[in-house]
Amino acid sequence: MVVLVVLSLTIISVDLNGRTHNITSGIKSVANEVYSPFRQAVVDIISPIGDFFAGAVHYGTVRSENQQLRATVARLRAARAERGFDSNELRNLLALQHLPYLNSLPTVTAESQEIDSSNFTLTITIDKGRADGVDAGMPVVGAGGLVGQVIQSFHHTSVVRLITDGQSKVGVTFGPSYTGTIDGQGPGNPMTADLVTPHTPLHKGEKMFTSSLDAAAFPPGIPVARVTSFHNSAGAGQESIAVTPMADLSQLAYVDVVLWEPAA
Amino acid sequence: MTGRSTLRVALVALLLLVVQSTALLSVRAGGVHPDIVWLLPITASLLAGPETGAIVGFWSGLAFDLVLPTPFGLGALVGCLLGYSTGAATAAVDKRAVWLKPVAAVFGSVAADMLFSVLGAIFGQQQMVQIDFFSLFVVVAVSSALLVLPVNRLMRWALGTDGNRRSLVSAHSTESGIW
Repeated sequence: MVVLVVLSLTIISVDLNGRTHNITSGIKSVANEVYSPFRQAVVDIISPIGDFFAGAVHYGTVRSENQQLRATVARLRAARAERGFDSNELRNLLALQHLPYLNSLPTVTAESQEIDSSNFTLTITIDKGRADGVDAGMPVVGAGGLVGQVIQSFHHTSVVRLITDGQSKVGVTFGPSYTGTIDGQGPGNPMTADLVTPHTPLHKGEKMFTSSLDAAAFPPGIPVARVTSFHNSAGAGQESIAVTPMADLSQLAYVDVVLWEPAA
Repeated sequence: MTGRSTLRVALVALLLLVVQSTALLSVRAGGVHPDIVWLLPITASLLAGPETGAIVGFWSGLAFDLVLPTPFGLGALVGCLLGYSTGAATAAVDKRAVWLKPVAAVFGSVAADMLFSVLGAIFGQQQMVQIDFFSLFVVVAVSSALLVLPVNRLMRWALGTDGNRRSLVSAHSTESGIW
């Protein structure tokens, strides 16, 4: 018993240590390579049964087509939302500063294999990995805006942390030149925009985009969230802002991974 | 430890891993799905004692860690603690009592999920305590109570305890208390 506890703690330490994390990451990668096809085969076998019980309307290709159409509509919505941010002046400015813009960045479309595989994290597993150019740190968009960020990349699959997860932090810009950070608060809890100076002018529905600050974790201009409520408390060091994701996180069957890596 | 028992336990763990990551992911209430991984150490400890429960909990937890985004090794740690404590807590209880398995499954699974989230937060994963614990505990308790009997049947076959009580650990190592 003592040996097993010590062994577990050692494995956890190895996993959490930045220098030795590659060891456990490699083991997980190999395990995923072996397990994913097996799991997918089981899903392929049992999903028709589930579809049958879910109803004939959602059966087979109709369901798949429906999901693809929703993803297409969402991409169009995202493009329309970006136009608010995408003034010519700003586009030129970004070009002058050699900052990448989402429209010019290559993307890889991926299909979700698992959604929230653990009750304790908000993640999705997608069917694209290092073999497709997907790597840890890359942004994932779809269904209206930013969905999350790749946190683990295996050979043919990757794990994406959603922006609503409690560990998620996204630097944003809004209004003329205001900045802040959008923090996920876990399942069922509204996201918050933090580090916004008190009495910053806001309006309900205001859109927030990934910022173009140096060393940002995301390329600029991706719609992230819109303001749902805000207030200033006396003596508070920042404005209290609740936001909701621009992305429709209930439609994650297909997502786009932006092949963009944060600056080292 | 017999090779045949170990292989059968591994097969049962693989079966539950597949069920967990396929069918049960779509069974959700309040955004929460059942966690049946904890039933492996619980049933193993009820059938063959705390040491076997700890060993089954460690390896099955480690197997689930491979496909979860949570810290690698956390499931193994919680699994072995759960297996050992369940076996120790029920050592004096008549194993034939009909209420024992559902009660152990409910309390063991809920305690394991609580420990899993708290330890995760201690290891830096703060999001693991930012969840709806009420929904989690209700879903996990109900599903564990419903599924403990079939899992117990599988574990009984895996450990070969249909006739004679048999443990994964030898009499010598059990006496030494190393595990």
